[in-house]
Amino acid sequence: MGTLLDVKNLNTRFYTQDGVVNAVNDVSFTLDEGETLAVVGESGSGKSVTMLSVMRLIASPPGRITSGEIMFDGRDLLKLDDDEIRQIRGNRIAMIFQDPMTSLNPVLTINQQISEVLQLHLGMDKAAAKRRAIELLEKVNIPEAARRVDDYPHQFSGGMRQRVMIAMMLAANPQLLIADEPTTALDVTISAQILDLVKRLKKEVGMAVIWITHDLGVVAGMADRVIVMYAGRIVEQAPVGELYASPRHPYALGLLKSIPRLDEIRKEKLEPIEGLPPDLINYPTGCPFAPRCPYAIQKCLEERPPLAPTTSTKHLSACWRWQDVKR
Amino acid sequence: MASQVSQPQAATSGAASSQDTLVSIRGLKKYFPITKGIIFQRHVGDIKAVDGLSFDIKKGETLGMVGESGCGKSTTGRAILQLHKPTAGEVLFRDNGQMVDLVKMKGEDLRKMRRRIQMIFQDPYASLNPRMTVGNIIAEPLEVHGILKGKAAQERVQELLQVVGLNPYFVNRYPHEFSGGQRQRIGVARALAVNPDFIVCDEPISALDVSIQAQVINLLEDLQAQFDLTYLFISHDLSAVRHISDRVAVMYLGWIVELADRDTMYRNPLHPYTKALLSAVPIPDPAIEAKRERIILTGDVPSPARPPAGCRFHTRCPIAQKGLCDVQVPEFRNVGNNHFVACHLVPDGAG
Amino acid sequence: MAVAQGVRPTGQGAWVPQATSRRSRFIDGWRRFSRHKLAVLGLFIVGAWIVCGLFAPWIAPYSYRENNLAVSQQLPSAEHWLGTDRLGRDQLSRLIWAARTALIVAPFAVTVSFALGLIFGSLAGYLGGWVEGIIMRVADVLLAFPGLLFALLLSVTLKPRLVSMMEASSVLKDLVRSGYAELIIVILALSVVGWPGLARLVRAQVLSSKNSLYIEAARASGVNTWRVIRQHILPNILAPIIVVLSMSLGGAVVAESGLSFLGLGVEPPIPSWGNMIYENASNGLWRTANAPYLVWAPGAIVSLLVFAFSFIGDGLNEALNPQIGEGSR
Ligand SMILES: Nc1ncnc2c1ncn2[C@@H]1O[C@H](COP(=O)(O)OP(=O)(O)OP(=O)(O)O)[C@@H](O)[C@H]1O
Ligand SMILES: Nc1ncnc2c1ncn2[C@@H]1O[C@H](COP(=O)(O)OP(=O)(O)OP(=O)(O)O)[C@@H](O)[C@H]1O
Ligand code: SF4
Ligand SMILES: [Mg+2]
Ligand SMILES: [Mg+2]
Repeated sequence: MGTLLDVKNLNTRFYTQDGVVNAVNDVSFTLDEGETLAVVGESGSGKSVTMLSVMRLIASPPGRITSGEIMFDGRDLLKLDDDEIRQIRGNRIAMIFQDPMTSLNPVLTINQQISEVLQLHLGMDKAAAKRRAIELLEKVNIPEAARRVDDYPHQFSGGMRQRVMIAMMLAANPQLLIADEPTTALDVTISAQILDLVKRLKKEVGMAVIWITHDLGVVAGMADRVIVMYAGRIVEQAPVGELYASPRHPYALGLLKSIPRLDEIRKEKLEPIEGLPPDLINYPTGCPFAPRCPYAIQKCLEERPPLAPTTSTKHLSACWRWQDVKR
Repeated sequence: MASQVSQPQAATSGAASSQDTLVSIRGLKKYFPITKGIIFQRHVGDIKAVDGLSFDIKKGETLGMVGESGCGKSTTGRAILQLHKPTAGEVLFRDNGQMVDLVKMKGEDLRKMRRRIQMIFQDPYASLNPRMTVGNIIAEPLEVHGILKGKAAQERVQELLQVVGLNPYFVNRYPHEFSGGQRQRIGVARALAVNPDFIVCDEPISALDVSIQAQVINLLEDLQAQFDLTYLFISHDLSAVRHISDRVAVMYLGWIVELADRDTMYRNPLHPYTKALLSAVPIPDPAIEAKRERIILTGDVPSPARPPAGCRFHTRCPIAQKGLCDVQVPEFRNVGNNHFVACHLVPDGAG
Repeated sequence: MAVAQGVRPTGQGAWVPQATSRRSRFIDGWRRFSRHKLAVLGLFIVGAWIVCGLFAPWIAPYSYRENNLAVSQQLPSAEHWLGTDRLGRDQLSRLIWAARTALIVAPFAVTVSFALGLIFGSLAGYLGGWVEGIIMRVADVLLAFPGLLFALLLSVTLKPRLVSMMEASSVLKDLVRSGYAELIIVILALSVVGWPGLARLVRAQVLSSKNSLYIEAARASGVNTWRVIRQHILPNILAPIIVVLSMSLGGAVVAESGLSFLGLGVEPPIPSWGNMIYENASNGLWRTANAPYLVWAPGAIVSLLVFAFSFIGDGLNEALNPQIGEGSR
């Protein structure tokens, strides 16, 4: 399978009153056609900003992509002009956002919003677009699609709205879907419906998916490969099985150990990661995780560990002591 | 609107109302009126947020309460604290060996009882007054109950900050200067200030990051052991509830549909909704996830303003029987071993 | 302070522990206020206005009412810095005395309308229901009129009656003679148009504050109603109200000048910046005497005050909000 997306040394900064926020730092990763890549990390770790950078959706000011290269299907997205990037957005790369309330326009019907995409990108006429819109809604399991297509977003529940968003991005047959925590705001049973739907559609359509989440459970069921972010950096990157079986970064290990699991015997005590993530303005010189890291040594505070291969070339970790990190 | 019946209850649920019962809820209902009109408001219906709950909470235990958004968990918590006056029912609380009904209490009596019952809120950002310093926030309950004043109160505040793992130096800071996890600790310190017996924890970890959630859960557990606290722990995170609770209640659309011991509930769930809920929780292990059978519920949760007739779950239930479940309200009953279920298709003795 | 303030306020900021000393709300507030340079400038301008108004008899070199035809229509000189008008009155002195007029009218008008706005707004916010319905509909109706026009109408219709009423009373007779009776009428007129906007603001604030989680938290820990209002609701609704208060003081100065300019407010010989513009402009003095400043000086003073109050409003907004970062990094 060919490489679809190749991001190299991406850096994104926000220039704010308080100083420069180092939101994304030297992020590099690749994505194959048809692959599902999960991005995990805690709030503020740069997951959204990284993907917004890929879509060239960083508001400027205050934000700016200061360096890097984003090769999509052989072209550097950072070198495209506004018209060219708009052609790619929504057409070849689609994105679903966290909040199903705000990502649909409240004053347009569902039909108007889906048809707009179809007319714009595929040049369909009005009637054909509506027929296709109904088909798409059926595909994402909206009951009575033909009737509900003329409803407004507020007449739909949160889970249904998220399904409409998915229908909308399916409209243009994209090669890459970026989903930014699409189920975080939803209930477990509704979220299970959506996950199920995306898995099925992925098989049918064959698109690649980048799935942003902070739920390690969701990742386990969805992804082929996982990226763990911390303080705007990738700290670990591995095939999904390996990450869970033998994480090689203390942060990933800490995350896995800190969550209570339904399938294991109940622990007497949870093992939290103590402390807080660093300030992205006064970015630490050493390993950004060092102040919270149980493995930290003097070197960790002084020198920043690069993201480097560990047991295999597919399993990368940014930790000086990856060999000692064990489940 | 079809005539709706609230849930019929077995005489008592959970532990039999015995000496070790601290809180006892009987037939609790909370309806929010739906009104229309600008100047003169007409009553056009009710949101039946909580519709006839009965359960007991034993001294020193943690009762977990789970369910989907809008099923009435927070409303239950608030109704227990009388922050919402219940539409019907009793909230009995043990005071000097006697059970007193909080619903009947008013004014000064109720205010005095509040010292014994505290609450921790879901949103650590909105539940702290942005214009008060942390010191004043935590000292307020001490002052209003006339426990400590001035310097003594400030000393106690510093002590409490230490108890919840914050630096006592922070007394003069404002809430916005703290992270979510730290703010939640401030909320915990405020609840602890007056030495309560019972704390309603309304989703205390939902707004926090995974790595921080464990910190707060551990803190709550430590404090429980240290101060002999009783918790009602509300959450939609089934894994966290399993970790912290002794018994668990599952809510659906204003009802408790199942109530059992933690281990019983997770090992042997009886209600089809509980089964679906448990199977929907993703497990952080790819090998297990690949093999797992999911029960995917179809459709959405119905509106509490127009709950379905019969069993409220029948519209989404994979095993619902026509002519029974959509007509008759299932009784919430003990099916053995203090395992309570509201489902027609669970036989007696299944517990 | 080092909370990383991201796009979403819910972001887990990182913070750096620092030693804290006991903090006073006032000192903190002043530090935030004084960082706003224009606000400090505004404070000086308003201070100058107040000093002029209070001490006009001592500051003003000449009387404001005595005519002296011998020095009529003079250009600026060492004796008369801003020259004199047709009746030979010193312009600078009149400007200074006009400060007193504005100083009497503006705070009164604002106080009365604020009292009304606070009372009606908080009643509407607390009680809700039909009380709210009625109050807010009345406010809507009043807001639909152009404010100045409404004040004008009131002023025109009420003035003769009020003046005759006052003359009938032995105490108020002197007030009418002194010429300040008009002021009271202007104040009344301005108050009536001033309160609905404020009532809306207060109601919205009370509503959002009343339903906020920290109020519920306070109630849950046993705080009684009175303390909830004093400790939780008031401090949170006060900031925006004080800011608006500052801005509307500027507005009241303009309105007073406007009414006086139209001859419906303060009448000569009592000087007001508004009637000075009118007098000097209408008799063509400023053109014949080649002294345009006779018109624009009062105008400039009014504008300056409006700017000053709006800068102070900005400054107060920051001063009253502890969430605005202290000090630069
Ligand atoms: N003050 C209120 N006025 C009217 N309706 C309300 C009010 N508070 C809650 N409700 C309604 O009552 C129902 C139960 O709400 P509640 O907040 O108890 O749910 P919950 O289980 O806590 O949900 P969540 O997990 O989202 O917090 C919902 O339908 C809600 O819309
Ligand atoms: N417009 C902005 N101005 C300033 N800082 C910003 C801006 N947008 C994002 N940031 C900062 O960039 C960092 C990364 O933010 P990002 O939204 O990518 O986090 P995230 O990993 O998606 O978190 P979450 O899980 O909460 O969505 C954060 O520290 C945030 O504060
Ligand atoms: S580099 Fe050091 S501080 Fe960073 S994660 Fe590894 S051991 Fe911990
Ligand atoms: Mg994000
Ligand atoms: Mg809730």
